[in-house]
Amino acid sequence: MHMATTPAIEPIVHLSNVDKDYKLGAVTVSALKQVSLEIAPGEFTVIAGPSGSGKTTLLNLIGCVDVATRGEVIVAGQDTGKLSEGDLTRLRLNALGFIFQSFNLVGVLDAFQNVEFPLLLQKKMNAAQRKERVMDLLNRVGIAEYAHHRPGELSGGQRQRVAIARALVTFPRIVLADEPTANLDSVTGNQILDLMQELNREGTTFLFSTHDPHVVSRAGRVVRLVDGRIVTEPEQQSPMSHT
Amino acid sequence: MILIQIALRNLLTHKIKSAIVGGLLIFAAFLIIAGLSLISSIDKSMSKSIVNSVAGHIQLQEKGAKDELSIFGQMGSNEIGYIHNFAEIRKAIEAMPEVAAVVPMGIDSSIVFGGNVLDVKLEALRNAVKAGDQKQSAVIRRHVRRMVALLDDELKNLKGFSDQEKMSDDMKQGLLDVAEANQPKFWDSFDADPYAHLEFLENKIAKMAIGEDMLMLRYVGTDTERFRKVFDRFEMVDGQMIPPGQRGFLFNKFTYEEQVKHKTARRLDKIKDRLAEGAKVATDDEIKQWIKLNRTQYKEITFQLDDVATDEVKAALQAELQSKESDMAKLVDAFMDVSDANFQKRYDLFYKVIAPRIRLYSIRMGDTMTINGFSQSGYATTVNVKVYGTFRFHGLDRSTMAGAFNILDLMTYRDLLGYMTADKKAEIAKLQAQSGVKELKRDTAEAELFGEGGGEQVEDTTNATPTQAAAATPTDAPAEATPAAIAGNAPLSGAKLMAKELEGHVYSQEEIDGGVIRSAAIMLKPDFDVKTGMEKVSALIAAKKFALKPLDWRAASGLVGNFVGVIYAVLAFSIFIIFLVSLVIINNSLVMSTLERTREIGTMRAIGAQRSEILQMFMVEAVVMAGVFGAIGCTFGYALVAYFGHFGLLASNDFMIFLSGGPRFYPALPPWGLPVAMLAVLIVTLISTLYPAWLAMRITPLAAMQDSE
Ligand SMILES: Nc1ncnc2c1ncn2[C@@H]1O[C@H](COP(=O)(O)OP(=O)(O)OP(=O)(O)O)[C@@H](O)[C@H]1O
Ligand SMILES: [Mg+2]
Repeated sequence: MHMATTPAIEPIVHLSNVDKDYKLGAVTVSALKQVSLEIAPGEFTVIAGPSGSGKTTLLNLIGCVDVATRGEVIVAGQDTGKLSEGDLTRLRLNALGFIFQSFNLVGVLDAFQNVEFPLLLQKKMNAAQRKERVMDLLNRVGIAEYAHHRPGELSGGQRQRVAIARALVTFPRIVLADEPTANLDSVTGNQILDLMQELNREGTTFLFSTHDPHVVSRAGRVVRLVDGRIVTEPEQQSPMSHT
Repeated sequence: MILIQIALRNLLTHKIKSAIVGGLLIFAAFLIIAGLSLISSIDKSMSKSIVNSVAGHIQLQEKGAKDELSIFGQMGSNEIGYIHNFAEIRKAIEAMPEVAAVVPMGIDSSIVFGGNVLDVKLEALRNAVKAGDQKQSAVIRRHVRRMVALLDDELKNLKGFSDQEKMSDDMKQGLLDVAEANQPKFWDSFDADPYAHLEFLENKIAKMAIGEDMLMLRYVGTDTERFRKVFDRFEMVDGQMIPPGQRGFLFNKFTYEEQVKHKTARRLDKIKDRLAEGAKVATDDEIKQWIKLNRTQYKEITFQLDDVATDEVKAALQAELQSKESDMAKLVDAFMDVSDANFQKRYDLFYKVIAPRIRLYSIRMGDTMTINGFSQSGYATTVNVKVYGTFRFHGLDRSTMAGAFNILDLMTYRDLLGYMTADKKAEIAKLQAQSGVKELKRDTAEAELFGEGGGEQVEDTTNATPTQAAAATPTDAPAEATPAAIAGNAPLSGAKLMAKELEGHVYSQEEIDGGVIRSAAIMLKPDFDVKTGMEKVSALIAAKKFALKPLDWRAASGLVGNFVGVIYAVLAFSIFIIFLVSLVIINNSLVMSTLERTREIGTMRAIGAQRSEILQMFMVEAVVMAGVFGAIGCTFGYALVAYFGHFGLLASNDFMIFLSGGPRFYPALPPWGLPVAMLAVLIVTLISTLYPAWLAMRITPLAAMQDSE
């Protein structure tokens, strides 16, 4: 009841009764069962759960790279089930940001160009505007001095910072990250989480998965998955709810 | 921009792929550039060779003729038709603004007996006898006697080898005759009746020695003056041009050297040329062969030397060889055994001492020679014609193909052709009836002409010839009806008289243009290309209803003209194969690199790249690859072409000389070569990119999400 203020803000992500089945020959694997979920702007949400519980599947549906078998997935006001592939791609480009577990930078491009890439796809900014925006972000994530290094010349943490900058460069409504710290050592992983938290405070909505309990503990909100179902969300204890 | 950078950097990153793809594309581009340059240059220079030597831009032949004209093609395909209304055709076609000139032609091959040494000596003997010069007569007689002895020896050797049964009666009789002439008795009785002896030698013996100097000559029967003016590669070398409107024969310098020149001298010339090119006697098989022939064929020299000359040459050779050897055969053998060191000295000595004493050319300028042809009706036709000089086709001096063409005046050509229309035949029959000349058979002709062996009588009989020939010459000379023609290989004295009468005769342009020809060459003005010319000429022929078929020089020249087409096909085929192979290999390596890039492409899709943008990226990469590697290949190709274009490529054989229109070949890149090569490389690259690009487009953004293994 104390959350009465929230409905005034339109959720960025809205899932209701979503099922996701994978057909493996004759066998059908139910990766998600009756999942309903809303993500509001400004949240810092973690999807937690054991391996095989459906975290990646859920993020893929929200990330518009996969479609639900049943149920409704609404992202940034759009019903993804009704969009063409081109529209889904456009939605990803303009409303979403992605951070990958293995960073997924384009190896032949330097840090600056990797971050600039989504802006080039958007075709909205001129070169000067792009440069300003990219350098802003590289500064923000603390690797401006490596702007002209290729991914091969950067450490894992530096690469993930580039990836974060790339995810943020288009001012996405929400940034999705599937186990962003899994390929990093714990110190670096913590630094990345610190950065994400800072960015969240500055207004970016994050939704990411992990099975690292330490990471879960830093989340604003935890969505716990077991066998494709959301089990009772724990009490809202995050710092977010106090503000 | 970023796509080009991605493309370029991908090239640098995927080194193995780039090496494979790059190597293939570079090679393909290189091959196209080098090949195109080579072929288009060959085409250009060969067209020059063909067009400006004999063919002209367009040839006309009778429409519906059984064989297609084939100027440089095989001999024997002779049913190329006849053109009767040349005067009219020439007038109509030369009136066209595109046409520079039309030249009438008849191309044929015939046998010429380059009057053998025995013939020449017998003629000299007859003159000496006639002049009553006993001393001279005795010297020549000793020489002739030795030649007969040598001939008898040779024939007896030959007889040992061949099957007596299969020998013709003529041959058997010939052997007996030669044996008889080799008897001392024959020579002892010479003075008693010199003319009877001469006649026996001329008619029975000389023909037994005839084989050696048989020449197969290919010639263009043409309006010699027009030919000279229109074909700018034509230039005189020795002697003089056939006087305008007159009968005559010009040797191609190449044929003259190759066929007419004394064999030993010719071989020495060839050795000299070869040594000048840097060859060494010890290592060059051909030189060794020539030397061997010169040593074994010493008779080519000794046979021709009379007593006096033999002594002079012997002294010179003994001095050169520092030898006391008196056997000429051994002396010549030793003399001809040349080495790198002494070749030049011996070559000079040969030309200083031996050459002036032998017949260096079996037919000389100013000689009248007898051409033996076959008329259309199958008769052997014989025509005498004066040799005025030698010419060459500039730049094609050493080409066997262009060098085979000699030039004959059109009137003589028509005599040789013996072509008669039905009207003409009737007319001739009438003429014969009027003048009382009977159809003469060979035997009776000989008897009638030379029955008494008296010079007076020969002249009397042959006097009929010029009159009759002149009567018929305005159009087709009835060669078959002339006594000299029927007499076959009649001794020179009789035939020469006939030639003398016709020799100075100047034919009018109407007479030259008026008779039958086999084909006609059209030379276009410089501003017009052959294609336009063909169209215009075809239109005119259709409009005027001429029974003519036009052929461009390529078609008219026969196999050679198609040669460029053939190498084009070979090049096109090899490029096609290379491209096919490249296509498969490039496709494979791109598929592999695409699979390697699955995560990268999936990531691009995930962060918002459309499928079309992935396709675009692949196309840009293909274009960049094609551009970079194509340019490198073209540069290599161009460098090679430029190098040879500047320094020239030595035409290694006669055919190459003909193709390259000169002794050196200068390939040049045609202006469209570069775009064609680049375009071809681009197309291949784009095609090989299609499948990998399609695969890439099917990569889903999910590919980005899978964890790296
Ligand atoms: N492409 C697929 N085809 C078939 N089954 C799949 C596919 N992707 C996932 N699954 C199945 O769906 C279920 C959920 O998988 P998912 O990858 O979402 O789990 P996860 O929570 O991300 O696990 P992890 O912590 O190991 O990454 C699993 O049982 C998995 O085997
Ligand atoms: Mg997962």
